[in-house]
Formats: sequence, structure tokens, C-alpha cells
Amino acid sequence: MSKHRFAAVALSCAIIAYSSLSPAQGNVVMPTIVSQVTPSLPASVVPKDADVVLAVSLDVTGTVIEVAVLQSGGAEFDKAAMEAVRKWKFTPALRDGQPFAAKIRVPVHFVAAAPPDEGSPPPAPSTSAPAAPAKPPSGDKPPPNTPPSGNKAPSGNTAPSGNKAPSGSTAPSGNKPPSAGPDNPPPASPDTGAPGQPPSPDTGAPGEPPKGPPAPLDVSVAGKRPPPSRGASDFHVDIGALKLVPQHSASQMLQLAPSIFLTNEGGEGHAERVYLRGFDAREGQDIELSVMGVPVNESGNLHGAGFAELHFVIPELVRSLRVLEGPFDPRQGNYAVAGSADYDLGLVERGVTLKYTYGTFNTHRAVALWGPASEDVHTFGGVELQTSDGFGQNRGSKSASAMGQYEGRISDNATYRILATAYANDYRSAGLLRADDVASGRRGFLDTYDFTQGGSGTRFSLSADVDGRAGDVQFEQQVFLVQRGMRLRENFTGFLLDSQTAIQEPHGQRGDLIDLAVDEVTFGARGSAALRGELFGQRQELTVGYFARGDRATNQRARISADSDIPYKTDADYDATLGDIGLYADANLRLTRWLVVRGGARADLLTYDVLDRCAVKDVSVPSDTHPPGDASCLDQQRFGVHREPYQRTTTTGLRAMPRGSLILGPFSGFTLSLSAGTGIRSMDPRYVTQDTSAQFATIDAYEGGVSYTHDFGVLRVAAKSILFGTHVDRDLVFSESEGRNVIGGGTTRVGWIGQSRVSGDFFDTNASLTLTKSSYDDTGLLVPYVPDAVLRWDSALFHELPFEILGRRPRGTFAFGVSYIGRRALPYGQRSDTIATVDASLTLGYRNFDLGVAATNLFDDGYKQAEYNFVSDWHETGAPTLVPARHFSAGPPRQILLSLSANFGGNAP
Amino acid sequence: MKKRSRIATVTFGVLAGLSLSACTGTTGGEIVVFDAFAAGPEDAVAGQPYTFTTSRGYDVTLTRAELHVGAVYLNRSRPSSVASDTSCQLPGIYVAEVTEGMDVDLLSPDLQPFPEQGTSTTDHASTGEVWLFGGGDINDPGDATVILDVAGTAEKGGQTYPFEGEITIAHNREIPAPSDSLPGANPLCKQRIVSPIPVDLAVAEGDRLVLRVDPRGLFASAQIDLLEKASEDPPLYRFRDDGGDAPSRALYSGLRASIGTYSLAWEP
Repeated sequence: MSKHRFAAVALSCAIIAYSSLSPAQGNVVMPTIVSQVTPSLPASVVPKDADVVLAVSLDVTGTVIEVAVLQSGGAEFDKAAMEAVRKWKFTPALRDGQPFAAKIRVPVHFVAAAPPDEGSPPPAPSTSAPAAPAKPPSGDKPPPNTPPSGNKAPSGNTAPSGNKAPSGSTAPSGNKPPSAGPDNPPPASPDTGAPGQPPSPDTGAPGEPPKGPPAPLDVSVAGKRPPPSRGASDFHVDIGALKLVPQHSASQMLQLAPSIFLTNEGGEGHAERVYLRGFDAREGQDIELSVMGVPVNESGNLHGAGFAELHFVIPELVRSLRVLEGPFDPRQGNYAVAGSADYDLGLVERGVTLKYTYGTFNTHRAVALWGPASEDVHTFGGVELQTSDGFGQNRGSKSASAMGQYEGRISDNATYRILATAYANDYRSAGLLRADDVASGRRGFLDTYDFTQGGSGTRFSLSADVDGRAGDVQFEQQVFLVQRGMRLRENFTGFLLDSQTAIQEPHGQRGDLIDLAVDEVTFGARGSAALRGELFGQRQELTVGYFARGDRATNQRARISADSDIPYKTDADYDATLGDIGLYADANLRLTRWLVVRGGARADLLTYDVLDRCAVKDVSVPSDTHPPGDASCLDQQRFGVHREPYQRTTTTGLRAMPRGSLILGPFSGFTLSLSAGTGIRSMDPRYVTQDTSAQFATIDAYEGGVSYTHDFGVLRVAAKSILFGTHVDRDLVFSESEGRNVIGGGTTRVGWIGQSRVSGDFFDTNASLTLTKSSYDDTGLLVPYVPDAVLRWDSALFHELPFEILGRRPRGTFAFGVSYIGRRALPYGQRSDTIATVDASLTLGYRNFDLGVAATNLFDDGYKQAEYNFVSDWHETGAPTLVPARHFSAGPPRQILLSLSANFGGNAP
Repeated sequence: MKKRSRIATVTFGVLAGLSLSACTGTTGGEIVVFDAFAAGPEDAVAGQPYTFTTSRGYDVTLTRAELHVGAVYLNRSRPSSVASDTSCQLPGIYVAEVTEGMDVDLLSPDLQPFPEQGTSTTDHASTGEVWLFGGGDINDPGDATVILDVAGTAEKGGQTYPFEGEITIAHNREIPAPSDSLPGANPLCKQRIVSPIPVDLAVAEGDRLVLRVDPRGLFASAQIDLLEKASEDPPLYRFRDDGGDAPSRALYSGLRASIGTYSLAWEP
């Protein structure tokens, strides 16, 4: 380092970013610097003046959790400034005495000085901290008690990650120089003169120490405002260092939130089956999934209304998740039965990143990511290509995904984002095996019955959103368009379902392979306006919002002959035009400093227009002169009376859903919360009936929880304990013959969740345990397939290694993830096996490169990821097997993956 | 008790209760594996001919009676008679099955084991089925497995009628469709499946399924003296395998009778 070549490095004081002010912002205190280190430049750097402007995200303890370059002064200057600022410590921003996460703008000014005379001490950089400025920060952070960086499980601060600062406080992407003004006097500083004086960009002559930090500058910013917390079950999961834990896909990141368990018996390209809080949410039917607010659930998918596949999301672009377990937020819409999850995308490591992975089962994965150093983390591009032979029989896959987003500023108070995604995949699927066939040796553990199973899909989306502040109103508006195509071939039952009817030519069992093709276009918009005011001496807020969505879907499902691979029967062929328009109002009322009531109501109108092109499949007394034969879709009624084969059905349904939360605290770091709410799951379009109001499954949920957060200096701790209960009036039960859920009876779930995240300077660990009992209301018998106990533990260690290579210390990381799933209840009084797997990774980083090795299922446990009891016949015995038997989907054996990545033009240390 | 320890006790109690309740409970029912057997009537003597008198007044002495059973099932439902029902499988839920077939000596009362164990749920069964085929596709008309092989003598009115016969259920048993518009109205499986055999059964752990076949039911309506004479010296009457005469049709009917020929029971 060549401090002597730089007489002074002027450090500006922390600059707080503010939104346009509303008088009723509460009593706000800015962060101040507690400790700082001077940037250190390599001796090889040519001295010059340089200005680097950084966006620095602070958590509720004032700890720096993220640093990004807003204005570059050159790669080495950027790097030096970032390295130094990462080690700074601030006091947290306070509102009404309560800390909240904030994002601040920190200019760092480098002054090139003449080398000092021999013997004279080098000038000391200015390290004075600013006095608290007069301007409150932007944004509405609900009451405090945000946990430390990482799992921001708020009973208060709901910043999904460090980058999403309190409402409106996203740092601008451009280089708008902030300006002080009469309404925004800079704070007093001992070195900068009297208050009210404009700051000086040059704070010292060359060779001389700076006169002190310039006065804070007023910057008006705007940004996407996260919704206020709904209590203990509102999990903001900042991926952070836990991205080091091997994650096969973006779907698996859901497991960082408690009580979530994923299986996949449909193949690499098939959506995972999600279990959450005692719900078998299938492939998303009971969990509302979105990416940057764009819906992922497919309303018109015959495989299951609400089917959601997340494989189009590139995992490296996921910054955080908001998982709200339970229908407690009026913003949650259709499918939020067990809860909802929204992915927040962003690229922290700027520049260009190239990554290649090779592993067992001939797995190849290439990823390219791009994020301009001068832009916000929400501006990025990424592409992923991957291929694998898969483990065992018939499990190969290929996929490609591209994502790009640009975030820009419309004004000081408004930002916009445009997101485009593209995805395509093709995969084989092994399906399920009978346990008795494996036990007898007729089949191997990783075999398949039907090599024609698999699928393919595409997904293209375009969305745009704008958010900002106008006077007292914070507004958001988003529009989206999604095109989705899917083909799925699966066979759960073998040769069982092809019944002979009298009108058909005589035939045997031709095979139960289902070939489903879905094409769906989804378009819509959502928006909200939040009005703030003051009442009871506290800031209050009322938000009104809407959600509107339309879907046009075509579905065709056929049965395929095992002998000839041609369709022999049409199961379904219909077009659906669906609508969902919702309106909600959400009040955020602070009755006292420690008592907040949040809630309101939502109402959704769902419309169905279904054209069934194959409405008549059988006739008891067919025409003698026009026999229907083997045709699937008939144009006659009894006695041969003609009718068209199609039938149109239209209906609507309207449901109001109240939701609310009571939040008390924090009291010495503890926050109590009570929440209750109603949710709905819309009916499958196939079940609608003309002139009958559309039916919903209604969910009533309630819970009570306690959260704890505290910063012990070297440790940041967050923990939660939650008791919950949910009732569904018409639950879904998996039907193996249809390969999908069908309507069953009422069910009740009760349970407990414990979750904790502890992080420090060199480690991050997150663990959760969920215990649940799910039972049918009428019999008290357990709901099958849902796990009673879900344990998940993810940890990461990261630090510089204690040796140097060519003058630099390499970086090392070690991460692991442990899953334990208790024995799941199966039909007929049986229990599945337990699942216990360990995934781990090691990386070595040096300069711009990282070399890593990861292992999934490290101990090569031959486990069954999914087990079912149902009837199937695969002609493995002399006569058909017609009695329920155990089936399973094998979990992946141990997989070793080697990866090499390089980052250029960014600002990584 | 101090307040803090009381809170801890309650909390622990709730958690313990939750953890216990989470890991207990059942979805109802059970799946059991059982041994399966078939046999002739209990009053038969192993290795000896079986003698009985039919309702038509014939004194029959069976010297050979062998039945091929392809599979045995129990079903929860009690089907109603639906003329248009062409499905080989009953509606409702099958609760027990034995899927590997065997040849049964109907002259022996001894339990003859099926080659593979069967599987059952603990649901109550109201209907039994016996599938008479060689395995594979139940509708395959090319399956010419000999289902019944009988030989013996019948006496009536002082006359003795030595007889023999083999019955298959294949092309020879296909029933033409009633009309061109209902080509699938008479699937061959309906000829091969003996159903519904009335039962009232619920399995218990350790039980074995026993199928008993009573030859008296096979010959109940057969007028053996009306059979074609296959040879004069020695005299021999033969049942036809195409249903071409009344006694042959009667034997075939007896083979497929759901009442009188077959009985199913769980035995400890």
C-alpha cells in the first residue's frame, strides 16, 4: 500500500438518502460513523484525484451488510473504498427511537498528494463523523426488531435484503449529485463550518489533510418499498452467505424458510412438489409464488390449477425471498393457502462473471452474469445452460434460461424496472417404482417402468414496474405478460385404467401414459397507493391496492398406447379464459410506540369461461347407423340424437378475505405477534358448473409467535417460535389415476415452528424445526404424505486464509446443508422412511477466480424422496395388481460437482 | 412455582404434546401380506376319488378334477347388476389379491399353497373374484390354458357313463357383439372372471386366505347322459369345449357360477 503517495484520503461523512419529505415522518435520527478504516491502495496505482460514490446498506445494528458502487472512480479506487467501508461501523438509523435498516450514500474522495518529506509523518485522513443531520431518512419502516443481516424475519423492518432499504431508500442508479438546499440543511460538522454551508467537494489541498468531511448532502431517492411485516411467520430470507450451500435450483432456496420440504418425482424439468406447514401444496397449488411480483402460478394448467415451476430462475440472481407462511397479508391472492413466496432478484457481484460446473452423471452447467459496476444491483443480465444424463434410468435433462433487468430512475422520487426472462427445457422422467418390484429384484432402485415419460417447456415473460412517491402517497404499479408452454408425459398406474366400454372395439389395457400439453398466456397488472398521516402522535398508513390477472389456456390430455406411442383416447381438451380481479385495503396503525395493528381485507372476483371440446365421452345407447366406435369425443346422445361434442361453461365467484396482525414490541429484543386470515384456492376450471357460483376452497389460518433479534457485537442473533393452526373446508387429495389432486373433505392442521439465524463476520447459520399434525375433520385420520417433522440446517463459513500467494491472501469458504424429514404418514396406516441428507461445498478464491467442489447427498444415502400407497399394474406379475401398494421415487445419490468461476470488471475483494 | 419456570413448563408441555401428536395418529387401515391356499371340499379324501350325487340324480365319482386359478381378488364393493358394464375390474376398491396362479387338485381337501403371497388391506370385503386364465392379458382370446380338466364316471338309472372333459376359455367362448354399435359389449374377460362371489370378510394379521372349490357345483346341472359318446370301446363320454351340447354348457356354467362352486375365507 502506498499511503505515502497519497497525502490524504478524504472521507466524506456518511450521507443519508432521503425521500421527498412528508411532515409526518416521525422523529428520525441518522446513522453516524462509530469506527472507520482508511482505504488502502496498492503501490502500483498511479496517484490521482478520484471520487467513488458507494451505496452502503446498513442493518438495524448499523452494521454494513452490503456495499455497491454508484459512481466509479476507477477499479482500484472502487475496490479500496469498498474494502474500507465494509469495515466501518455505524450507529443505526432510528425512527421514534427504534432502529431500522437504511441505505446511505457515501462519497469517498481520493486526493493525490505529493510525497511527504522524508521523516515527516504522513497526513492523517479525515475520519470525523458527521453530526446527525436534520433530515429523516425516507421510507416507512414499520416498527423495528429486524433481525441481523440474513433472515430478516420482521416483526418490524421488512427490507428483504440490504439493498431494499426502507421504503423509498433505494440508492439511485445514476450519478445524480445530491444537493443541499434551504429545506435540507446539512448537519453541523466541526470541520466543515457552520450549518447551512454547502459542502465542498475538495476538502483539502494536495499534501494537506482534509479540512474534514463535507456536510451531508441531501439526496432524494425512491425505490421499491417492501410490504410491512405480518408477524412471526413473515420470513425475509436474505440469501447472503448461504448461497454457498449447494442449491440445485432456485426452488430449493424455499427451504431456507422453515417447514418447507421439496420432492420431485417428475424429473429435472418438472416442478417440485412443495410441502409447507402440513400442506401438500403439490406443484404450487397451495402456495402463491412470484418472482419480482410477477405471478408464477398457472391458473389454467390441467395438471393442477396453480401449477408453478421455478426452474427458469437462475439461482445466482436470487438475492432474497419473502416467504409469508399463512394468508395474513391482504396483498396475498389466489393460491396463498399455505402461504406465499416472492423472489427478489439482483446481482451483488458486479462486472462479468463466468462460471462453469462439471459433475457426476455427466452434468455440465455454464452461467454468465453481467452487472455494470456503476448500476444498482437490480440491473443485471444472466444466462444459464445446463445438461445432465441424470442418475439412474431415464433422468436426462437439458435447459437454458436467460434473465435481464434494468432499474432506472424517473426522478428523484421514482424508479422503474423492466424485467425479461426466457426459459426452455427438455427432460426425461423415471416416475415411480413399486417397492415390491424392487424388493423382489424385478427392478433396480433407480430404474423406470416407462422410458417414454418426461416433458418439455418454455416460459417467456416481460414485466415493468414503477414505484415512487408523490407528496404523501407512495405508489407502485406493475404490468406483466407471461407466455408458458408445457408438455408432460407421465404414467403412475401402468396398465390399469383403460376400461373397455361397449361402444369401443374390444381391446386390452393399452397403457396409462398421460400426454398433457398446456399453452397459457397470462397478463395482468397490480398496483397500490399508500397514504401516510399522523394520529395518536404516531405515523399511520393506509394502503389500497388492486390485482388484475387474465389467463388464456388450452389444455389437451391424451392417453398414449404403450405399443405404438400413439394417442388412443382423449381425456380432456378444453380452452379456458380465466379472470381474477382483486381489491384490497391494508391499514398499518401504530397505536403506541410498541403496539401495531396491521390488516384489512381483500376481495377477489374470479371468472371462468371454459370451452370443453370433448364434453361427451360415452353414450349408453348409441346410434346403430352412426356408431361412435373408438372416438373419444362424441357427437351424439342416447339413441343417436345428435349434439355437438363441445360444451361451454361460464361462471364467476366472489370471496372476501379479512386478514390482520397484532404486533407488540420490541421489548428487549422480543416482539410478540398474533395473526389471523382467510385465504382461497380457486377451483380447477374443469369442475366449474354452468349457472353455479364458482366454488372455492376456503382456508382459515391463525397463529401466535414470538421473535427475538439482538446484535451482540460479534454475533447477530434472530430467533422465532410460532404456534399455528389452519382449517381448509375442501382440501385436495392426490389421485394417482389422474396424476393430480382431486377435491376431498375438510382438514385441520396445527403445529409449531422454531427458527434461528446466527451470523458473524465469518459465518452464517440458519436452522429450523417444524412439527405438524394434519388430519381430516370427519374421521380424525391423518392427511397422508405431509411430513410431521421437518428439520433444516444451513451454515456457511467464509474467511481469508492465513497465508499469502503473491502478496494476496486467498479466500476460503465451507458450507453445508442438512435436511431431516420425519416418517410421513401414508395411506393404509403406513409410514414412509425418514430422509436425512447432507450437502456440502468448499471453495477457494484468489483474486478474480473461485474454484469449488460441492457434494449433494454427501453420505450417499439411498433414500426415497417421495413415497405413496396406491394401485398400479405394470404387468410384472401373472395377473393385474389391483390392491394399493407402496410406490416411491428414488432420491438422487451422491453427486460431486466441480466449478470454476471468474469475475471481471466488478468490485469483488 | 415461579412464574418463569411455570412458563417454561407450559411451553415444554405444549411442545412435547405437539411433538407427540405429530408423530402419532394414523391414516387408517393397514396393508398386510398373507399366505394363500386353494383346496377341494373338506369332505374329500386326499388321493381318493370324490363321490357325490348331483341335483339331477347322477352319482358322480370323480377320478380327476384339476382347476387352473389365475388370480383371486376381494373387493370392498357389492356390485349391482348392470348389463352394460363391460369393465373387467369391479368398481370400488380391491382390498386383497393373489396374482400368481396355480393348478388346484379339487379331489384333495389339503390346502395347496399359491406360489406367491398375497396382499391385502384391512378393509372389509363384500365380493370375491376368481380369475380363470393363464396370466397376462385377461382379454387375450389366444390364451388357451386348460382351465378345468375332469374325468370320472356318472351313474343313473343303472347306467354308467365314463366321462372326461377339458374346458378352455379363449376364442371358443367369445360372444358376438349384440350390434355393430356395441362392438365391445361382450369382452372375453367377463367369461373368465367368476364374480361376484358373496363374502363377508375382514383380514387380521396372520390370517391366510383359503379358496375352496366344490366339484359338486361344477356338475350341478349337467345331464351327463346327454353327452356325445367319444368312443365306444371302451365307452367314453366327453364334454365339448365349444358349448355345443347342453351338458357341456352346464359344466361351463358351473365353472363360472359365483354361488355354489367357490368359497373364500380368512383362516387363522
